[in-house]
Amino acid sequence: MTDLLSSSDRLVTILDRLVGMSKSDYYNPYEVFDWPESLPEHQYWMSPELMSTYGTEAAGELSEAQLWAISKWESINFYSLNVHGIRELIVEIIQRIHTDEFRASSEYFHHMIGEENEHMWFFATFCLKYGDKIYPNTAFQLDIESAGPAAHFLVFARLLLFEEIVDHFNSRMGTDDRLHETIKQVNHIHHQDESRHVAFGRQIVSVLHADLRARLSVAELADLETYLKRYLRRSVESLVSPAVFRDAGIPDPYALRRRILADPAHGEYQAKILKRSMRFLLNEGILTDDVLPGPA
Amino acid sequence: MSGGDVKDPVTVVIDFLLAKRPDFEEIPRDLDLIENRVLDSLGFVNFLYLLEELTGREIPMVDVAPEDFRTIDAIEARFLR
Ligand SMILES: [Fe+2]
Ligand SMILES: [Fe+2]
Repeated sequence: MTDLLSSSDRLVTILDRLVGMSKSDYYNPYEVFDWPESLPEHQYWMSPELMSTYGTEAAGELSEAQLWAISKWESINFYSLNVHGIRELIVEIIQRIHTDEFRASSEYFHHMIGEENEHMWFFATFCLKYGDKIYPNTAFQLDIESAGPAAHFLVFARLLLFEEIVDHFNSRMGTDDRLHETIKQVNHIHHQDESRHVAFGRQIVSVLHADLRARLSVAELADLETYLKRYLRRSVESLVSPAVFRDAGIPDPYALRRRILADPAHGEYQAKILKRSMRFLLNEGILTDDVLPGPA
Repeated sequence: MSGGDVKDPVTVVIDFLLAKRPDFEEIPRDLDLIENRVLDSLGFVNFLYLLEELTGREIPMVDVAPEDFRTIDAIEARFLR
């Protein structure tokens, strides 16, 4: 196949601009952070409203000390999900850079890969320094959902949605004065870089979906919609982790996870996190409604 | 599972999968769960947590392969004995 992207003038212009911004905004991540030996335990490590427990009936039965502990491990889980998500992202981009189809975006891919490598480093550093672990990846490849004519679209849609979900947290935690300076800094710096990646992601997802609309049947497009909705649902569910609750000393971590997922507050939590992505997917005609399926 | 639960673990597993796939009337023990998309990547984590809860221990992802989840028989042999 020939160059997929250069037929979109708009995308080519945006790629030029993003490459310029990557150069002018470049910083040395290995110098920029303050990494104190430890972070204080008796406070929130996550904005309380961004915790999976927020507003649930179960949270009302927990002490503030338990919520502090959950906030610590839930933030370590969030950064761990970033580490694993970035690894998938880098692998997918590396497989496409300097292929004919992605000729127009290869220059930009160099910047993206470099930036993501640095993001993975600071998220992993945070996890290892303050949690002494990275939570293992629970994603498991059981099928070949990413093969076929929609392969590129599905990869870039997944990456965009992953980055937008993460940014919901980064943009808020980066300016939350209740949080420790190092926590704010990690989130703020990631948020700054990701604004470029999200801008690119939206453009390429839009271009690739327009191409699929011309080539796929209505039923095939509906299958993509179903898949993406399940992906969104699963992404938010992965923020609610029994391993987190176990590390926070909760006696029955699986029961707490079930209670949270069944709580009406979780529906609101999910809707807030996905609001921006939903609007984009609906505007582009990638989704035809905003109704997500039941638990993944 | 809750204290009064007397279902055996294999039945719990089958009921869980049937709830995900109401279009199946039953799940034979040798049905290929992956081929038939009863289990897929997106639904996997919740299934893993169910198995962890049934067995009372964490299942490290580095120790498992897709073949461990191919059929009910395989799942029972690998995790529920
Ligand atoms: Fe990133
Ligand atoms: Fe990114």
